[in-house]
Amino acid sequence: MNFITAYGHLQENSCAVNGETICRRDKNSGDPWFRQIYKEQEFVYPKFHKMDVLSQAGFLTSELIKRANPQFAGKYKDDEIAMLFANRSGSAETDQKFVHAYQNGTPSPSLFVYTLPNIVMGEIAILNKWYGESLFAVLPAFDAEFYINHCNLLLSAGSEAVLCSWHEIAGNQIDVFTFLIEKEGESRFELTTNTLSKIAFEGNFHKTEINANYYY
Amino acid sequence: MSVRITGIGIVSAIGLGVQENLLALKESRTGIMPFSFPDEDKMFMAGAVKATNPVLKKELQTKSQYISRTTLLGLKAAREAYGSAKHHDQIRTGIISATSVGGMDLSEQFYQAYLNGTDADFAMLKAHDSGSTTEHIAAELRISGYMNTLSTACSSGANAIMLGARLLMQGKLDRVLVGGADALTNFTVNGFRSLMIYDEQWCRPFDASREGLNLGEGAAFLLLENEKSIRFSGNKTLAFLNGWANAADAYHQTASSPEGKGATLAMQKAIEKSGISLSQISYINAHGTGTKNNDLSESVALINVFGDQVPAFSSTKSFTGHTLAAAGAIEAIFSVLAIQNQLIYPNIHFRTPIMETGLEPVTIMQTEKPVHAVLSNSFGFGGNNSSLVFSDHA
Amino acid sequence: MDDLKEELKRQLIEQLNLEEITPADIDDNTLLFSDKGLGLDSIDALELIVLLEKYHGIQVTKPEEGKEVFRSVNSMAEYIRKRQN
Repeated sequence: MNFITAYGHLQENSCAVNGETICRRDKNSGDPWFRQIYKEQEFVYPKFHKMDVLSQAGFLTSELIKRANPQFAGKYKDDEIAMLFANRSGSAETDQKFVHAYQNGTPSPSLFVYTLPNIVMGEIAILNKWYGESLFAVLPAFDAEFYINHCNLLLSAGSEAVLCSWHEIAGNQIDVFTFLIEKEGESRFELTTNTLSKIAFEGNFHKTEINANYYY
Repeated sequence: MSVRITGIGIVSAIGLGVQENLLALKESRTGIMPFSFPDEDKMFMAGAVKATNPVLKKELQTKSQYISRTTLLGLKAAREAYGSAKHHDQIRTGIISATSVGGMDLSEQFYQAYLNGTDADFAMLKAHDSGSTTEHIAAELRISGYMNTLSTACSSGANAIMLGARLLMQGKLDRVLVGGADALTNFTVNGFRSLMIYDEQWCRPFDASREGLNLGEGAAFLLLENEKSIRFSGNKTLAFLNGWANAADAYHQTASSPEGKGATLAMQKAIEKSGISLSQISYINAHGTGTKNNDLSESVALINVFGDQVPAFSSTKSFTGHTLAAAGAIEAIFSVLAIQNQLIYPNIHFRTPIMETGLEPVTIMQTEKPVHAVLSNSFGFGGNNSSLVFSDHA
Repeated sequence: MDDLKEELKRQLIEQLNLEEITPADIDDNTLLFSDKGLGLDSIDALELIVLLEKYHGIQVTKPEEGKEVFRSVNSMAEYIRKRQN
């Protein structure tokens, strides 16, 4: 049996760890929302400022989960922690910025490197020196079954823990739900469709057509 | 532990379909040549598929108004691989398709039209989504048991194959169509130029003078089936997939580590899983993009794994260009063809070995040696590294 | 104070998103690519090539040329002056 041992939600106006809000957006702040969290939580990783929004969100939620679960990373070998991320819009946010840059005649290399959704997992691997498996899928919507099935695959093929995330950022809408799956945990957090869906939707994901603002 | 491959389909710069690709490989004929996008003068070296969208549309008899080139290429290859397979109530069928640019070609048209204030049709953007290619192919082939789109950069195609194999091994599916597709776009050409790793001449993988990659486009799909599915389909087994692994390099967003850590791990684990010994690997279809960084890092990794007994290896990207998310699937099919036809492909345009490692790829087509097992590497940005092992036995 | 060097420091911070650094933190001789200096990486090097073209109209076609040029603000200023004369 597998268990959800920690989780974090990141949305437009709030950031929560294990269901507890730890940060609220200050509309009057001069800083973008993700930088507000970075400063408030006193992170020190200057590379953060160079990342695109997907990678920033991955950095924040995975680091917050590690803080909430400090003994976690030390339990495993560096290739035993896998990552399983998914979203709906891929890297569309950064893609648009890059298109804009090259149409203006200055294609920016630092933008281009983030025009792939899986770079967020690369950034987390670099920071933690994790050499395990990683997989990024593009799905129409959050699907608890997807994570459960694929965690089972990964955990039966050499991985001991999986850092998962529904990692959707499009326009102003942010639905990021990052969670950690391990083989041991509390029974009330057993990894089942019901439990995972319930925890995921604590974040009230946007139910609207997420890309609507690109169509009209 | 192995999975049967019973169908293959491919579209690349060297041909439409398996037979055309095989012929070009046998004749050592590259598909990379000077290319320019419609309405643009600037020429550059690229492995374009030699068929326009209208030709592909007509051949595929598709009625969709907006269909991206990525989907057209994918559909063509998927149909060939799927063959005459049909929907069957007792066979659980899935599809896993990989892409990195999705419908970017249509989005580019839209963007231009939008900026110019001329008939920009927002419906065009529905094809942008990476999943639209998968959904289109699934609908055409009536595959509904399982559908997934992977996007892990240039290892996507290999990861689709690996995930399909696992789903079969775990009894979740009876057959699965796996592969990838990517079209040439301004987006990717500009991107690789901005990273200064686009070679304006023919790419020269593993050569000391290499300056970068040439992009290509294409698609490839493989049909994987279990015993139960084969009893219904009667399909012949073309080759086996025996080993697979994925590992992170944990070094840099786009560059590979100097010590080739992720690549080494991926190759070692895939070979270990296959149960095939190092000395039995007849040929390695390398990732070999032609960039200074990849080819050196991959060479170091080859030495890490094989010591001074590195098997015959080459990069077929010197034929097709780098087809991004399709590359892993295209090269999987080249691996199957190598086993079926006892071929070891040359690495075109190679002259001088890389000083640091001294490794020399195969430069002339070899047809004399038996090819029993092939290792295929696919390494992606984000440090996402995958290796697959194919062979002629279970 | 050398205007070009001060301008370069501001451009560096903007182009490379060096949020936690101010121009005063960058010495003319700070090694840009050393971990003891600004700790820039290969993507930053490519952005510096973009910076030279965007703000100073100078084209660098081979990334290797950048190696010596981008050692420090001093070497960048020197290179820009040489190319502009």
